[in-house]
Amino acid sequence: MSTMAETTPDDPSLLVICVDSNPSQGILRRNPDALNSIINCVTAFGNAHLMHKPQNKLAVLSCHHNGSKFLYPSPEKSLEIRQMDGQYEFFTFVEKSIKFNLSELIKNAPKIVNNVESMLAGCLAMALCYIVRVKKAQPIGTNLISRILVVTGSEDSAHQYMTYMNVFFTAQKERVVLDICTLDNTLVLLQQGCDITGGHYLKVPQLDGLLQYLLWIFLPEPSIRSKLALPPAVKVDYRAACFCHRELIDIGFVCSVCLSIFCKFSPICTTCSTVFKVPVPIKPKKKKIKT
Amino acid sequence: MSSKKSTAASNVVQLECKNLHEYLKSQTQIISKLYDYPAICLAVFRDCIPAIAKQFVMRMLCVEQPVPQAVVQSWGSQVYAKENSAACEALTELKIWSESSISGGLTAWDLNPSFKRNLKIAWLGGGRSWSMFNSVEQSDAKSRDISFLDTYAMSRWNCLLHYMVDSNASKGSEMEGISVDAVRIILHANLMVRNEQDGSYMLTSQGFQFLLMDTQSQVWHFMLQYLNTCEQRGLSLVECLSMLFELSFSTLGRDYSSEGLSENMLTFMQHLREFGLVYQRTRKEKRFFPTRLALNFTTKNAIAPENVIENNSTNNSKMQLSDESNYEGYIIVETNYRIYAYSDSKLQISLLALFTELLYRFPNVTVGVITRDSIRQALRGGITARQIISYLEQHAHPKMISNAAASAFKTSSVLPPTVIDQIKLWENERNRFTFTDGVVYNQFLSEADYLTLRDYAQSIDVLLWQSERSRTMVVKKSGHEDVKKFWKRYSKG
Repeated sequence: MSTMAETTPDDPSLLVICVDSNPSQGILRRNPDALNSIINCVTAFGNAHLMHKPQNKLAVLSCHHNGSKFLYPSPEKSLEIRQMDGQYEFFTFVEKSIKFNLSELIKNAPKIVNNVESMLAGCLAMALCYIVRVKKAQPIGTNLISRILVVTGSEDSAHQYMTYMNVFFTAQKERVVLDICTLDNTLVLLQQGCDITGGHYLKVPQLDGLLQYLLWIFLPEPSIRSKLALPPAVKVDYRAACFCHRELIDIGFVCSVCLSIFCKFSPICTTCSTVFKVPVPIKPKKKKIKT
Repeated sequence: MSSKKSTAASNVVQLECKNLHEYLKSQTQIISKLYDYPAICLAVFRDCIPAIAKQFVMRMLCVEQPVPQAVVQSWGSQVYAKENSAACEALTELKIWSESSISGGLTAWDLNPSFKRNLKIAWLGGGRSWSMFNSVEQSDAKSRDISFLDTYAMSRWNCLLHYMVDSNASKGSEMEGISVDAVRIILHANLMVRNEQDGSYMLTSQGFQFLLMDTQSQVWHFMLQYLNTCEQRGLSLVECLSMLFELSFSTLGRDYSSEGLSENMLTFMQHLREFGLVYQRTRKEKRFFPTRLALNFTTKNAIAPENVIENNSTNNSKMQLSDESNYEGYIIVETNYRIYAYSDSKLQISLLALFTELLYRFPNVTVGVITRDSIRQALRGGITARQIISYLEQHAHPKMISNAAASAFKTSSVLPPTVIDQIKLWENERNRFTFTDGVVYNQFLSEADYLTLRDYAQSIDVLLWQSERSRTMVVKKSGHEDVKKFWKRYSKG
């Protein structure tokens, strides 16, 4: 019996790309045309992944302000695409499906007035579900190597802290590598996810060179990354967000029962309703009042 | 005293099965011409070069000038320098890049311009359509569904295999025969030989190995042999190869137009039609459907499910995940080495009989048992344990597959582990011998002579075997000179 952990070069590799298409992202507010070039790069990158091995699989998810949706493979009807130029017919199909589904998504999305956060954590959870589903459909004896790539220009959102952490640890357990490519801001939380799952984190210095960055850093499969000279991992900020105000804190209070984090002391844990007896820090205060 | 030399070697002919990489390497004179076709560039990139080399190519694809070698070297990690240089070598070998010098006296790598251009076209688009994809009208009502194409392809291919199994028994009987061309290829490939006395054809040991391969490898091997002979038919090897690869990148279940193809290519198409790689309703029809045999025929176990289009609109399954082909296996293997084959096909039964002892035959099922003798007989014929196991796996009955999937303990195969291990052990059993060339010394006149020489041989570590009772010893061939000299000196003094 062979060990299950062994991977061979013939194993299929599944790449799930989560693209942030939320119009309230900083870069899109400044330059709405940027989405076009981002999608082009992501499509070319996805096809490059498919080009590597015939067994390779691809899925592309879009994370919009009102929800996440599969761009490829198409959730509903598939398009009838014929070869138009010298491009491999299948790649044309991937490209057209992504663009068609994204335009549908944007057309049907409600108008937004204020800036809305991208639901990136939910999108990641969807990607993980998809990976598990594909894994189950594999024939016996093949290992599926899977990874997720996030391409986003959104800001860090401590509101989704809990969901993020759940996703990260699930990914770690399922041996899914999480790669982050951020276009605009430094993402502290997602960086933690990269570190936990052994992925790469990159803040793209120039949007013009996006495709080249993607091909360089994120195209190699995790198994051959060690053989290439890729930029070393940066030091990860492991601060946690408190559960009461969703702010990143250095020092805080931790519930001794459920390990929830708070920036201020509260007598009852809001997560597990534990009542804390005699809070220690209050004692010296009483003395002060007496004197 | 006398000495004899003895040597031994195994004499089983292994079927030489090249993969695409090895094949292209042997075709150095045409390789540059091949890169004029996007389909071939795509196939070469995908199947021929190591993973690291792929990264190098990807990074250089969008760079419009030669890249200094030192820069390329810096892309790889120092720890794996060996693998990196192997990757570079593979690229040079296939003429994907070549050395050139740039200003400053540096040597640089320069991607083959047509390879670069055409791979980019296949990847990102642009350029002209591939030859068989041009002038496409909308598909019409008479489209064929995938199951039909699968059945058609398999029946054509089995026809060929049937011929090989019993070419003499069924001459002109129930099944359609195969053309003279196909027979010529089989003979050329040395899968069968003509018996000089009665003119009948016999399967060679390579033929047996061929039959046990999975269908995809069979198609590949067979097409290679075809390509070797295609120049003799007046077909251009380059054109045929490009056509084959374009076919392999087409979509299953979709029709393509043969309009605009040259006369030669239409002939080639008729050959492909005979082997079941394409389906064409009539010889004259302008449309054809590629079948599963033609798709991704260069690589094993790979038909991307996305390459399959769903024709019937009733199928609203959310997303297609499994690449279920319509093929169903027929073999059940039990842990007690029994084999039940639910098949009435003569071909399948006779293949099974190569390595099992058949016990009973019923109209729909045949029962056999794997024994040491039956496996050893197969091994003697040049079939390897790996081939037997993969044949059984490939044709496993759906019940066995579902059982293995449901079983609590995960194995890497659908077969019972004990059977796999035993077959491998039986193979290893045959490899107990290690052959070493040696020289025998015997008929010593006295015990003292024998002992002195034996001790000397032992002291210089060349003694292989000795028996004091019969005064015989065997020394390594390399030590023969030394021992002989010693003996001469000893017998003189």
